[in-house]
Amino acid sequence: MTILRDVLAELFGMFVGDARLTAAVIVVVGVVAAMIDLGDVPPLIGGGVLLVGCLVVLIGAVLRAAHRQRAVAASQTT
Amino acid sequence: MIEWSTAAPAIGSAFLASVVEIVEAFTIILAVATLRGWRPAVLGTAAALALLAAIVLALGPLLDRVPLHALQLVIGVLLLLFGIGWLRKSALRMAGVIPLHDEEAIFAAETAHLGEEARRRETSLDWIAGITAFKAVLLEGLEVVFIIIAVGAGRGLLWPASLGALAACALVLSVGAVVHRPLSRVPENTLKFGVGVMLSAFGVFWTGEGLGVEWPGADLALFLFAALFLATGLLAASLARTSVREAAQ
Repeated sequence: MTILRDVLAELFGMFVGDARLTAAVIVVVGVVAAMIDLGDVPPLIGGGVLLVGCLVVLIGAVLRAAHRQRAVAASQTT
Repeated sequence: MIEWSTAAPAIGSAFLASVVEIVEAFTIILAVATLRGWRPAVLGTAAALALLAAIVLALGPLLDRVPLHALQLVIGVLLLLFGIGWLRKSALRMAGVIPLHDEEAIFAAETAHLGEEARRRETSLDWIAGITAFKAVLLEGLEVVFIIIAVGAGRGLLWPASLGALAACALVLSVGAVVHRPLSRVPENTLKFGVGVMLSAFGVFWTGEGLGVEWPGADLALFLFAALFLATGLLAASLARTSVREAAQ
């Protein structure tokens, strides 16, 4: 049972290690899908939005973690 | 006929991701072998590899029955979550925000943990050692299995991607058996960063195709995506490093 629990935890952690990152990626994909399917936007424009959106999500996730670390360091020095 | 512009990144991703994961699993296998000899370590490893192979063989044919666009969309989104997650973590390690993976420290901790388990339980120590090796290979191998299926299923590249992973497995285990110590000099974070770049590129490619996007240049678009993720990952690491340095001053 411990092994099964560890396997499930591993699978969960693989895709939802950072809940905000997961939510942001899903929002980007959802917006692009809505643009293409409902908004009649040309698929290639949607693809461009997907690419740029994912790059922005990456930078945002890294900087958010760095700022959190910075806040922790600042609180320890005061 | 294999399209090498798609096959090369798929095989490369499977190979590099496997190197990273197998180096991590090998540290625990070695701790088991050091405490109880190679028999339980090899048995646990072989059992986990057999289970992982069975998962790939079972899922492969099932995936052929899923409509291609739906498969590309689901796998693409999972690849984005997984790839950007790896990229985020390795950029943070590169920037010094979180510590690098230390195989020597993990080896020492795992050896101490196994010794403690042996004292606490009355079960055969060989059994505990075998299960520990089994669990390490199974948990690290799950990520490899996902990568093989994700990069291979959309274009019938399951076998080439599996061979890439097997080659990595043979390489790491052979080097590890000869060196007989944790492979701490493998540039794990750099490899993880590279794999994150490739998986994220595949993620955008498959998700786009799943949504009906016809990428200009077809498979060659993967290389442009990879270059953009590489540049963005390096930029993010650099910005994070600056932020942490400012905080330290």
